[in-house]
This record gives sequence, structure tokens and C-alpha cells, in this order.
Amino acid sequence: MSRGVGGLALANLLAQDAPAGPSESAGKADSSDFAPGSGPGGGPHFSPRARSVIWLFMRGGVSHLESFDPKPALNRYAGKTIASTPFADVQNPERLKKVRVVVVNDANGQQRNVLYPLQVGFRKWGQSGIEVSHLFPHIGGCVDDIAVIRSMWTTDDNHGAQVQFHSGRHMLEPRVPTIGAWVTYGLGSLNENLPQFIGMGPRYFDRRDGHYLGPAYDAVQLKIDPQTPLAYARPEGDMTGGEQRRVFDLVHTLNRLDGSLYPGDERLEARLKSYELAFRMQTSVPEIVKFSDETESTQRLYGLDQDATREFGQQLLAARRFVERGVRFIQIMHGGGAAGAWDQHSNLKQKHTELARQVDRPIAGLLRDLKQRGMLDSTIVVFATEFGRTPGSQGGNGRDHHPFGFSVWMAGGGIRGGMVHGATDEIGFHAVESPHYVTDIHATLLHQLGLDSRRLHVPGHQRLERDYGHVIHDILA
Amino acid sequence: MQVFSIRAWASVYAVLICCPVAWGVDYARDIRPLLREKCWSCHGVLKQESDLRLDARTSMVTAGVVVPGDPDASELLRRVLAEDDAQMPPRGEGTRVTAREYRLLHAWIAAGAEAPEEPVLASPTDHWAFQPIRRPSQRDPLLPDSLDGLIDRRLRHYNLAAQAQAPRTLLLRRLYLDLLGLPPTARQLRDPRPYEEIVDALLASPQYGVRWARHWMDIWRYSDGYGLNAQLRYSQHHLWHWRDWIVESLNADKGYDRMIVEMLAADEAAPEDLDAIRATGFLARNYYLFNRTTWLDNTLEHTAKAFLGLTLNCAKCHDHKYDPITQMDYYRMRAIFEPHQVRLDPVPGQSDLDVDGLPRVFDDHLDAPTYLHVRGDPLSPDKSRTIEPGVPALFAGFQPPIRSIALPHGAFAPAARPYVQQDLLAVAQARLAAARQAAKSVQKVERVTREDELENESASSPPGETSGGTVDGSAMAELRLRAAESHLAAVRAALQVERSVVDGGVTAETLSDMRREASRLQALAAVADAELALAELQEATQPDPKQVAAAEKRLASAGQALRDAELGKRPYQPLRVSRKALESPAHKQEDYPTVYPSQTTGRRLALAQWIVSSDNPLTARVCVNHVWMRHFGEPLVESVFDFGLRAPEPLHADVLDFLATELVESGWSLKHLHRLIVTSAAYRRSCSNLGADPRTLAFDPQNKYLWRMHVRRMESEVVRDSLLALAGKLDLALGGPSLSVGSDSHRRSLFYRHSRDDEHPFLSLFDHPDHLQCYRRERNIVPQQALAMVNADMVAECVTSMADGWIEEADSPAQFAQLAFFRLLGRPPTAEELQACEDFLRSDPAETNAAARAETPDGHGTARLAHAAFSPRNAMLLVHALVNHNDFITIR
Repeated sequence: MSRGVGGLALANLLAQDAPAGPSESAGKADSSDFAPGSGPGGGPHFSPRARSVIWLFMRGGVSHLESFDPKPALNRYAGKTIASTPFADVQNPERLKKVRVVVVNDANGQQRNVLYPLQVGFRKWGQSGIEVSHLFPHIGGCVDDIAVIRSMWTTDDNHGAQVQFHSGRHMLEPRVPTIGAWVTYGLGSLNENLPQFIGMGPRYFDRRDGHYLGPAYDAVQLKIDPQTPLAYARPEGDMTGGEQRRVFDLVHTLNRLDGSLYPGDERLEARLKSYELAFRMQTSVPEIVKFSDETESTQRLYGLDQDATREFGQQLLAARRFVERGVRFIQIMHGGGAAGAWDQHSNLKQKHTELARQVDRPIAGLLRDLKQRGMLDSTIVVFATEFGRTPGSQGGNGRDHHPFGFSVWMAGGGIRGGMVHGATDEIGFHAVESPHYVTDIHATLLHQLGLDSRRLHVPGHQRLERDYGHVIHDILA
Repeated sequence: MQVFSIRAWASVYAVLICCPVAWGVDYARDIRPLLREKCWSCHGVLKQESDLRLDARTSMVTAGVVVPGDPDASELLRRVLAEDDAQMPPRGEGTRVTAREYRLLHAWIAAGAEAPEEPVLASPTDHWAFQPIRRPSQRDPLLPDSLDGLIDRRLRHYNLAAQAQAPRTLLLRRLYLDLLGLPPTARQLRDPRPYEEIVDALLASPQYGVRWARHWMDIWRYSDGYGLNAQLRYSQHHLWHWRDWIVESLNADKGYDRMIVEMLAADEAAPEDLDAIRATGFLARNYYLFNRTTWLDNTLEHTAKAFLGLTLNCAKCHDHKYDPITQMDYYRMRAIFEPHQVRLDPVPGQSDLDVDGLPRVFDDHLDAPTYLHVRGDPLSPDKSRTIEPGVPALFAGFQPPIRSIALPHGAFAPAARPYVQQDLLAVAQARLAAARQAAKSVQKVERVTREDELENESASSPPGETSGGTVDGSAMAELRLRAAESHLAAVRAALQVERSVVDGGVTAETLSDMRREASRLQALAAVADAELALAELQEATQPDPKQVAAAEKRLASAGQALRDAELGKRPYQPLRVSRKALESPAHKQEDYPTVYPSQTTGRRLALAQWIVSSDNPLTARVCVNHVWMRHFGEPLVESVFDFGLRAPEPLHADVLDFLATELVESGWSLKHLHRLIVTSAAYRRSCSNLGADPRTLAFDPQNKYLWRMHVRRMESEVVRDSLLALAGKLDLALGGPSLSVGSDSHRRSLFYRHSRDDEHPFLSLFDHPDHLQCYRRERNIVPQQALAMVNADMVAECVTSMADGWIEEADSPAQFAQLAFFRLLGRPPTAEELQACEDFLRSDPAETNAAARAETPDGHGTARLAHAAFSPRNAMLLVHALVNHNDFITIR
């Protein structure tokens, strides 16, 4: 039997366990780890860099090639088959194996062999000079606050990849909690008057988030409607405000008295509290989606003055207002329809232009607004989509689903701005430099929020290695 | 927002007890779970690689892996740090320990590697849940032979004092909500009959089946079919037939064993019994258009979890890490289900499968091979070996032999069933009658009908040719009439063919002639339909040229088909009366034969018989645990779908076994089980701590020993159904197609659609079950529930009805308050509560008065104002407050 424990091995183990970041040392992270009350529901595992997340998800599959990952080679080789270019190896069957096909021989989700030129131009933006396409000029203007990750990959070649981006699991595997549910589960509440996990916009494939964590960790769906932003936020019948107040008061009195019959009933206490919260939520939630106290210039910043941008802009403005009040996770989906609006199998240029117009100004507005209010440091904004689009053309004017390489970006909350991380190959096919599976985004978010994804689990439910993801340290400030 | 989730509390608790290494390491808390997760699958009861077990201190120390007090000498620590072949767990077989875990191990060994003496299983088959179920008193004659006897014995042993029986009205409310999911009426609360008699009466109520169907539908994963637009992707349309089977089976007290047999294999056990075959909705529910492996994975996982309490799913990619289940076991089980598919059969009285149909399973691909998927990857099947069907080897000793079964004709050739034939004929006749009616109404001159002629015509005589009447009606009506006539003739001929195939008695030659003639009539009917379709298009003022061209093409090809048929060159088109669920989106219905295999493998029947075998140690225990939890709020075995090695022997294991024996011996009667439970003293105890023995309260604050009743909360359906029932609005009708979640029906909540795309907005707020998996309901308390109970229109309407009705019965505020308290909460108010309610009723806020005055124009309102003491508006608001009382939503 060997004697002693290798110092080097232990150091490696430590490094792997709790990676050092500027904000905390491994040792620090480890010791606060044991603080009673940390972990599920009771706050972060270690000292956090961020408090809240605004999660923007473009449903359908934004073309990385027309947004954040310019590939001039596509113009050079436009019209050529991939096999006839020097990049033929991208279609090496071994390299295509990672995809797990849901619908065999579906009309979509296929290899598209004839290279399709870039449909929009790019230009360099900001101090960093990062290239962003002409579809997103406003986001381009914020690029110095953004870390663009050009090396994402996933394994679903169909829109079930939306489920995968949120949960880390392929459509054919069991449903597990989404990133928003884990964050809420791990961190608990900052403001008891508001739901901690809010959803806005259209969903399709998976309408729950909590799954085995339970329905309490599903996003509470809100609408930008000051009358009823939340289901049952005001009396549907003819009960007046004064009457409702009296009802709440009597319920409170009677439930207090009930305590004498059922001493020590924790659930009675909880219910009493839930009625107090409910009463306050009736006012607090509608106030947030009423923008009358926002200046005209702020409203313009989010595009509330224009038809194309109003709907999404309102959701983003509401998101900022929720973050101000301590909401942890706001999940906003953009693009209706079952597959998602960004699914441009055809008319890519026209439709992407239209959709980008709806989101570009509001998102840039959000980033600027957060920054000018000093909130960007503690708020992470994520711009994501389920996959990119094929370098080859589909039907002459579109691109197909592309899970092998695509782009997302993050900003704020201790994420380094003005940087590009990872890369796809010359034609934007495979993520070749620092490739990241979708859960790496989750791990990074959790890390910035002070949570260790490996320590989030519930007995009886196995998490797989891939579920945990790896923190993308390169993009941390 | 505060979330009070039982599970979340458990997690917080788990974290709280986690303390720094410096505070001392505890084996049970820190080390045992770690070793279990990282080491035990290879060095424990399942496997002893290198003859090493890491599940007991003695074996660790004896093997020299752990040297107490000397971490540096402990091989265990060296191995977890090693980065070569010595690394443990080995690469690819588990994640390495973290630094924190390493420190825990280190500190534990340094401190002497203290660990309690724990009994360790010598073999996995020694696990408590794998032992035969025996009546406790048979195992040990000193043990009592009753539920209460066993519970009281433990209470006595620990010197714990049980609470008294709950007040009778509260007990009755508990019983009604438990057995029917409906609150008792005022009269029922005062029912003078003995408690046991009331229990029997409630178990005999058809509403019992509605209440308990929902519980079983949680466990059995009921979901209506859903998909994308017209494309069905998950589950099946008309799955409510299975729901109705559950309700009816429960009401009839069908044995739980028989229910399992029917759900897994009614098509094999009772191939012509359509009522029983509804049960196979249990399997049909797992249908998934896109991926057969995912479909079968779900089938296996939930069959094992629901009936056996085994997490078989963990053995899909590798041998089970905690239980004696191998990967081979998983694929043997898969082989049992490999041949089965799903189809929609016609139901009597309806031949349009879009309107109604019976979703069911059947064995289709009798010889489909099953291969083990290497590492669970369906793209890596090990084709060197075909896996034979079978149950997990652990319990294979009592698996009945698998024998294939020959099916009766009606089972595999639905078009030959008499009711199907009658229905098809009736539809064709109705079409003809309608066409005639229409023709008559447009004819100026009475047509010389050929009706009698037609009725007397043999099916082989084509209609239209013998037409001799003078027609002066519209050409369109005539075309319709002709199409209907042709259709009827074709249907008749086809039915005759299908019947002759079954009945036999005709020579092959005759049958061939019949087919040829039927084919000709089918072609003729197609021509008539095509002519009609074209004429209908041309009738429009501006016919769409594209559509016209298509219709012309259709007519041309129908004409060609007719010519072929006349030459005997067009095969007869068998009647397609049932619809197989597509195996892939690339398939079309026409790809499948209209007659299904005449044999079934008998595999599912053997599986079902094995599950319900009296030798099976799991089935009855798992069932009792589910039923118990739904009466007591807490299960006997915490992990309701996992009775494997990770489930410690429960405190009340004897109660579990007593009830399991009773269940089996009663012929698997669930009503017997309910009766035993709800008539027990344990069930009838008060749920309050009030007046509890302080020692008992201190010793067992969580009520593990059942010295009082647990407090429960109404499930989502009970909340809604109770409100409607108390308002006198509830429609108690049973069965039928699922209701749209948007409809404001007053039917019981069970009958709403439930799927990914169908969640009732009100129900969804009260921990409505996830259609994917819900073995146990959550009981969260969130503010949105309060908002719904205060603000929802449905609630407002209900409380208005209640107040309107009750106000007539009350002469004073006090009387009204007492009455409302009693009906809503099942108890009278205390003096203080009464005072608060009276004050509320008497208060006279300006706006309440105004609202009350606004009601006077209707005569009813005037009558109510006769109560000078309080306004109807106040009465309504009081009732509204009381349905928001904690004791309304709580089952006390």
C-alpha cells in the first residue's frame, strides 16, 4: 500500500472542484460552502457575482451566420457543394454522429450541401471591434458589454432542442428541471411579494419547468396587461376593492383564531402568510407592468414607441422592473408558432430581418438601461436560441436546423464584455474551438449566482454528468 | 415569493445538518451516503469486486482499506486521488470525489473511522421488500392481527398517548372528502347512522369511483392525446375510454389483480371484451410517434414503478447501481412489449374514428427481435444475441410460461364484427335517406321512386342502371342520390365479403367472384363520388380552376379504376374500419393491413400474471402504500415508486404487510382495503395537537407513530368540486369524452382534458398533476392559490349561490354564521370566531350597502333585505371568506 497522499493530485482535485475566480478563492468557496442555510432555497453556496438572470430565448433557431458568427468563406464558395470545398471533412459521418435524430427522414433537420452565401453584411462594433451583422445594429452598439460564444453545440436537430437548451436533456430523454427552476430552487426568494421565477412569451414543447422539483418551481406566466398580468390578479366578478380588503381581513382574523384549535400547525402559518403575500401581489405585479412611472426616454429606449418593437420591449422593460425588485429569473421567449418564428427554412433574409427588428432595439435598450442604473453588474442577460442554421441552403433561400455549431451571448453579472469565446470552422459548421454543450451556459449562470451545479440535486433523481455542465471561465471578468 | 414545499423543506433540512468538517464528521450523515453513491455498486451487496465491501466498517478495516486514525495509510484515500488505473471510481464509471468529500473522508478516518454497527445485507434478496408477504401474526404469534393492534402496540411500547377520535362532523367531512372527493351536506353531517354504515354507503356511491380514479390516474399517468395540430404525437385520442374503465372498475370493486391484467393484457386475456380492452389505454398512453425506444422506455419505467415499485429504468444503460436488476433484465422486459402496437377500433354506434373510437393495444410484430442497446444507445444494438422475453431474473422463479394465443376472428378482423357491419350499413343507409329527402324537396314532380326496387335489388346489381323513373329534380340532387346509392351497394358487397371470410362456407371461387364484384361496386361508387365532387365545384359562381382540374383528374382516375375493375384487374379494397397508430411520421395508414395478426404472443399476459402472482412480494405492498398515503397524507414507505434496496424498512412494516395480506386474501378488493383503513381508530383520530400529551408531542412531533391524524390538503379537483357541490351546482354525471379545459362546465374535474396542452387554469394552481409523472401530489402553498380563491369568477358564483340559499334558513347573523361554518368547515364556530363573523355581518360599510341596495330591484333581493340585521352582500362576503379559511382547503 502506498504511503502518503500526493500533494499534486490533491491540488488538482481542489482546482477541479472549486475553480478559482477573481471573486473568490477555492478555499473561500469551500468554507462558506458549509455555512448553515446555504444551498437549496436558502441562498447561494458561495459568494455570488450576480443576483438575477434575464433569459432571452429566440425560438426557432437564429442563424449564427447572419447574426454573430460571420463566415466570409460562405461567400467565396457560394453555390459549391461542401464536398467540393476544402472543408469537405465537416460532413465526415463520424463528426455528425453526435446528433440524435428525433424524426427520421423529416423534411427538416437534414444536411444541406450547397453553400449559401451570407444574406447580410457584418461590421465591427465598439472598442472590441467584434463583428455583428447588420440585423442587430443596436446590439452591436453594446458589444463591449457582451461575451459572444460562437462555439455552442447541441444534439437535437429538431425544435425539441428548445427543451434541451433549458434542461440539458434531449427531447427523447425524460423531462428534468430547467435552468430557471434550478436557480429558483437553489436560491429562494429575494422579494416575497413577487414570484421568483417569471415567464413571458410563447412556449411549446415543455410547458413546465420544475418537473421533479415540483410545480412550485414552474415559471409563473405573466402577460403585459396591467389589468390581469397574472391569473386571477384581480376580482373577476363584481367584488369591489373595499369588499376584497374586508374578505382578506376576515380570512386573516379567522385563520389566526384557528391556531388555537390547531396549535403548532406549520401549514396554517404558511397559509396565513400566503394570503398576506397574495394581497400584496395584487398590487405589486400590476404595478410592474404599468410603465407610467417610466420616463418617455426610457420607454423609447426599449422601443415602446414603435409597433414592431413594442411587445418585446414591454416584456424587457418589465423584466428590468422585476429585477429591480429582486426577482431571480425572468424567462422571456420570442417567436410564436409551434416550431418558433425564427425557423427560416425559407425567406431567411426577409424573415430574419423582420424578427431581428422586433428584438434588436429592445435588447440593446435593456442592456443600456441596466448599465445606466448600475444593475448590469448584478444581472446576467442571456441571448440564446436552440440551434443555428446550416451553412448550406435549403430550397434556395433558407437554411435548415444546425445543431453542430451556433452562437449565443451573455452580458452582465460578472461576464466579461467585448469578447468572443470559441469558434466554429471556416464555414460555420462545427464548433471547433472551445466547444460548449448547452449545460455549460447553465453551469456558468449558476456559478455567477453563487451556486455549484453539482450540488443541486434531489434524492431519488439521478443527474447525469452532462447535466451539470462546465463553467466557461474564459468569459468571466 | 415564499414557497412552502414539503420537499423543499426536506432539502433545507438536509443542508442545515451539513456542518463543517471541524464540527466532526458523522458516518451516517457524511460518509455512508458518499460511499453508497461512489463505491457500493461494485463494493457492496450487489457486487464484491476484489472481494471488497465498503458498506460496513468491519469489512473496510479488515481489508485494510481504511486504517482508523491513519489517513495516510488508508488505501481508500489513495485510490480516490489516483489518476492512473488505480483511480476510484474508475474512469467512466462514476465521478470522482470532490475536494470537500475528500476532506470528509480524511477527517473521518483521522478521527478513528467511527461508524455504528449496522446490519448489512448478506445478499440483495434479503432486502425486506423482497421477502414474501406474510400476515404479521403468522410470522410472530405475539403480534396483533389488526391494523390498530399493530399501531397501538408501538405507541404503548414508546409510551405515547394517542389523540381522541376527531369530532364526529369533522370525521364525516374527512371521510366524505376522502372517499368521494365531495364535502357532506348539512344533512349528511348530521347522519345518525353508525360510522361503519356510512362508510359502506360511501363506498357504494358511484362518486367513489370518480374520486379514486383520479388517484390511480396520477399513478398510471393518464394523459389525453396531444401533438401538433392534426398530427397526434403522444398518447391517443379518445383515451377517456380508459378513464371510464377505471371509474367503473373501481365502482364495481374489480380486483386490483384483474385490473392489472386488463391494463397490460386485456387483448390477450379477453380478446373480444371491448369493455375490458379499454383498460389497455394504460399502455396506449405511452404512444410516441417519433421514437419507439422512448415509447418503450416510458412503458417499462412506469409499468415497473406503478405496479412493482422498482426503478427498472435505471438499468437501461448499465446494471442497476443499487438494486439487483441487470441491464439484461431491462431488455428482457422490453422484449415483452416489443411486439405490441396501438390502434383505434370502432366502437358500437360510431364508425367515424375521429368522433369516437377505442384506443387499445395488440401484438403486431410477433417476431420483432429485441437487442440489448450497448450503454443504452439505440444506435448500438448488440445484434449478436436476440433477447428472450422475461421478467427480472431476481423474481423469475414464479414467472408463468409464455404461450402464444390464437385470437378469435373479431379480435383481429374488426370489419367482420357484427356491430361494425351494422353501423357501416346504417351510415350508408342514412346517407341514402338524406339524399332521397333532399331530392324530394327539390323535385317538382313526384319522382317514381325506385326505392322498393332498390331495397329488393341484390347487392351485385349496380344501382343507376335499372333506373326507370322520370326525374325532374335538380341534377345535383340526382348526383347525390346516385352517389349514395352506389355507396350503399358497395358497402353491402364489401360487408358480405368480410363476413364470408369469417363465416366460411363459400368456396374460394365464389369468394373470388364476390371480391371482384365488390371491387367493381367500390369503383363505381368512387366514380359517382368523383362526379359529384366535380359537379359541386362547377356549381360555384367562380369555380377555382385548380380545384376543378384536380376533381377532373380524380374523376378520370376513378373511371380508369372502374374499367380495371370491370376487367377484374383491380383488387378488392378491404374495409378499413380501424386505424393503427402510425409507427413513424413517414408512414401512412394505407401502409398497414386492415386485418391484424391472428395470434398474440401472450408475453404481456404472462407479465401481468407474474405481477399479480401471490408470490410477488412487491405488488400488494406497493398498492397498499399508495392507498394508505391517500388516506393518511403520508405513505408508509416514503419512496412510493422505489421499494428497492435504497428504501429502508419502514417503521410500520407490519401494518403494510397486514394490509397487503388482507388485500390479497380479499380477492384484491380495494374497497376492503379502504374499509379497513377508514374504520381504524388510527384514521379516526383528531389531527390536532390540542391537548396532546406533552411527552408524546416532544418525542414524536412529526407523528411518525400515528398518535394523531396527519393534516392534509384538498387536491386541486377536490377544491373545485367541493365549491360547486356546496353551491348546489355540481353536475354528477359520469363518463364520456373529456371536456375542453376552456369550458365552464359544472361536471366533476376528473372529466376535463388533461395533457401537456390542456391544463385547467384554476386546477393548475393547486398542484395539479404533471401528466408525465405524478406518483405523489405536491402540497405547495403559494399566493396564487389565494388569489384564485378570492378573485376567480367561478368561486364568486359559487359563494353567491351558497349565500343565497342559506340566507333563507337563518334568522340572525349568528345563525347564518353558524350555519355557514358548519357546512363549509364541518364544525361550529368557537365563541370568538362567531363574534368575528357576527361583527362582519353587522358591519355596514357604505359600499356594501350600496351594493346591497343595487340588488333590491329583483324581487329576491327585497326578500333578503328583510333581514334587517345584515345584508345579503355581507352574507355572500362572509361565505367568500370562509371558503378561504384554512380549514376549508384543509382536510382536518
